[in-house]
Amino acid sequence: MVIHLKKISVVFFVVLFITIVNSSVASAGAILSDLENQLMCKCDDKCGKVLINCTCSTADKNRKKFTKMLESGLTVDQIVQQQIEKYGETILSAPSKNGFNLTAWVIPFGAIMIGGIGIRKLVNGWVEKKKPAIELKNIEGDAASESGGEKSSEVTSSKYSRRLKDELDRLET
Amino acid sequence: MNDIGEFALMVALATSIYGTVAYVMAARGNRIDLYLSADKVPFITWGCVMISSIALWKAFFTNDFSLQYVYAYSNIELDYFYKFSSFWGGQKGSLLFWVLILTSYMIVVHIQNRSKNLIVVPYAMAVMLAITVFFLLLLNFSTNPFERIPLPPEDGRGLNPLLQNYWMVIHPPTLYLGYVGFTVPFAFAVAALISKNLDDAWIRLTRKWTVVSWFFLCMGNLFGASWAYVELGWGGYWAWDPVENAAFMPLIVATAYLHSVMIQEKKDMMKVWNMSLILLTFVMTIFGTFITRSGLIQSVHTFDEATLGYYFLGLLFFIIVSCTALIVSRLSLLKSKNELDSFLSREAGFLFNNLLLLGIAFATFWGTIFPIISEAVRGVKITVGPPFYNQVNVPIGLALLALIGIGPIIAWRKATWSNLKKNFLKPLMFAAVGGAILFPIVPLSNRSEIYTYITFILCIFVLSSMLIEFYKGTMARYASSQTYLSALGSLIWNNKRRYGGYTVHIGIVMIYAGIAASSSYGIHTEKRLKIGETIEIRDYTLRYEKLAAIQATSVKTRIVAQLAVEKDGKRIWTARPEKEFYKGQNQPVSEVDVRSTMASDLYVILADFSEDESATIKVYHNPMVKWLWTGGWIIALGTMVSAWPDRLEQRRRLERLKLQKIVFSSAQG
Repeated sequence: MVIHLKKISVVFFVVLFITIVNSSVASAGAILSDLENQLMCKCDDKCGKVLINCTCSTADKNRKKFTKMLESGLTVDQIVQQQIEKYGETILSAPSKNGFNLTAWVIPFGAIMIGGIGIRKLVNGWVEKKKPAIELKNIEGDAASESGGEKSSEVTSSKYSRRLKDELDRLET
Repeated sequence: MNDIGEFALMVALATSIYGTVAYVMAARGNRIDLYLSADKVPFITWGCVMISSIALWKAFFTNDFSLQYVYAYSNIELDYFYKFSSFWGGQKGSLLFWVLILTSYMIVVHIQNRSKNLIVVPYAMAVMLAITVFFLLLLNFSTNPFERIPLPPEDGRGLNPLLQNYWMVIHPPTLYLGYVGFTVPFAFAVAALISKNLDDAWIRLTRKWTVVSWFFLCMGNLFGASWAYVELGWGGYWAWDPVENAAFMPLIVATAYLHSVMIQEKKDMMKVWNMSLILLTFVMTIFGTFITRSGLIQSVHTFDEATLGYYFLGLLFFIIVSCTALIVSRLSLLKSKNELDSFLSREAGFLFNNLLLLGIAFATFWGTIFPIISEAVRGVKITVGPPFYNQVNVPIGLALLALIGIGPIIAWRKATWSNLKKNFLKPLMFAAVGGAILFPIVPLSNRSEIYTYITFILCIFVLSSMLIEFYKGTMARYASSQTYLSALGSLIWNNKRRYGGYTVHIGIVMIYAGIAASSSYGIHTEKRLKIGETIEIRDYTLRYEKLAAIQATSVKTRIVAQLAVEKDGKRIWTARPEKEFYKGQNQPVSEVDVRSTMASDLYVILADFSEDESATIKVYHNPMVKWLWTGGWIIALGTMVSAWPDRLEQRRRLERLKLQKIVFSSAQG
């Protein structure tokens, strides 16, 4: 049952991931917004805002210019390329996904993955370390029940102690 | 009065240096005479800083333009409300304001803990005083707010129009209360390290400080977003600006710390981790100050005279090196007494919560400093803007949202299959049903909309898991209560921390939903209108009625457009967006008008106008923005419940520790 559920979850997440990755970024009505989102405002005040967020007169002029360029048949990528040629990479609102800039995109996820693997190893190490102790206790318990007598009460006490510990763990502070 | 203010700053510096040394010597040499002497320092320092602050405020209110700072940030026409807030409008005043808050906090800490822990508290006071010394050194010798102009001008330059908004009166103090507040847990953590008192006492002593500082930081961020929304006039509230990031990062790291200390309190684990997290939180607060005052990164929020970068960089370096050395030297004492039992447990959930929170903080930090790295490596300064942060942080944020739902219902120590089924079945069912209902309703045409759909499903999952917890607790108490409401009240009152925390989570869920909906389903339109013409958006028709020019003051002229907003043929609202022109300013300031409901905001901007009274009107329809602000108030409520003094909590803790001691000793024996 658990394995079955695991398989379904894996398939679900793979399908979801592919759907998200392959989905188109912008619908027809949002092309200008998409373009504005990719470019920075280049006003004299050096406002440092993404074009879509800027309300200065230069931004308004650029919006009008880009609307005309889109109407003339240029694509968003072509306009972006033109802007890069004119102003350099600083015109882009996010690093490109190639060359050195790729590190900007990869490193955060890489750090999380390394952290995740570290946590998994750490927790597994703790769990593995605890296993022999539990097994040893079980063997001692078996031996005690075989020999009967006084040790059986200790085993029972240990069992109840563990249960009590579990109950206490469920209590909130 | 200016001379007194300046002199008081010098006295404050001298006394705080004395206090730092005296507290350390008293603690190291067990010198009660020095301790008693140092005990007066927090009051004297606070008194001096207060005198300086009053002097500066007086200079603002009396238009004393002989002070360069008053000249730069005020003028005769400025409203008294904004003269009050001009105090923190520039670098010099904001540093004085920082010290005022820090010394005020110091007094409260001093009064609270004077007789509580004579080993840790003196060191904690010394750390706080040392930080005060740093800021006072800057104020006295580098960026003095009482700097004079030899020939005082008749009028000042005035406050930046963008800062003349009521949110800017509330937002900076709130943020500063949060930033500075984290000095207290940091100081106690360092004190615990120095004095080798490394049990959870320092955490308990500072828990409320942590919660309250976190709350202020959270509200400071939200108030900043509110200001951006109504003042910057681009229809959004968050632009991932470096300075916004600088306020966001400590909040995220502090959230990780708030969660992981629970494991130390409950399981006596993760001591090194918690020490590192509080260190990192404090470092992030200083980093935020560094960003705004270094001139290193361009932003709408940085101070005009950002010249203090090297000082703050030095402070950051000193804190990181000295605290890391302290932690390393105390590693043997910070060893955990317990370990995790299973990967499927609430403790492991907390670890992953920490991982994701730090992942978001790191991604934000990385994006903030990447332009500098790129310039250093390639010689090309690139921009890292919203598309980067959205693409990186949204998937991590969604995983975090899932964990908010999983955390409270997964068992401590080790979750079994039956336990998982019992606790997760209903929330998952609610999420599945909610997802199925939403599927035909919400658009799913692009990546952003798919993310939003997933966010909604996760929000339903988290909300149902929270509400089921409330329901189960209420039903269990209903037998001994007369009504459901009294059962719920008693449940919350007797478990303030737990249910206060759940309430905060509900607020967070609302914020997630608000962000998701407004960023995916928002639309806008723009049209040049003549009087009587209309513009349409969704179900609304906006009829342009008139344009009026109002001379508000001798330096401010308002141009106001009036639009009748109709829905289904009925007039439901009158929008009055405006542009404000300030004498001596190049760009006018847009004052938007917003009709806000839980379903959506109608956001109207006067983009442009001409003499023939025609005007360009921009209208945004932003769904569920109000959920963000409402979520903020729910967080406030939850924090208040969680931080409310609880006598029962202390008693329960002692009983629990006693029982645990018996159980552990018998189980291990």
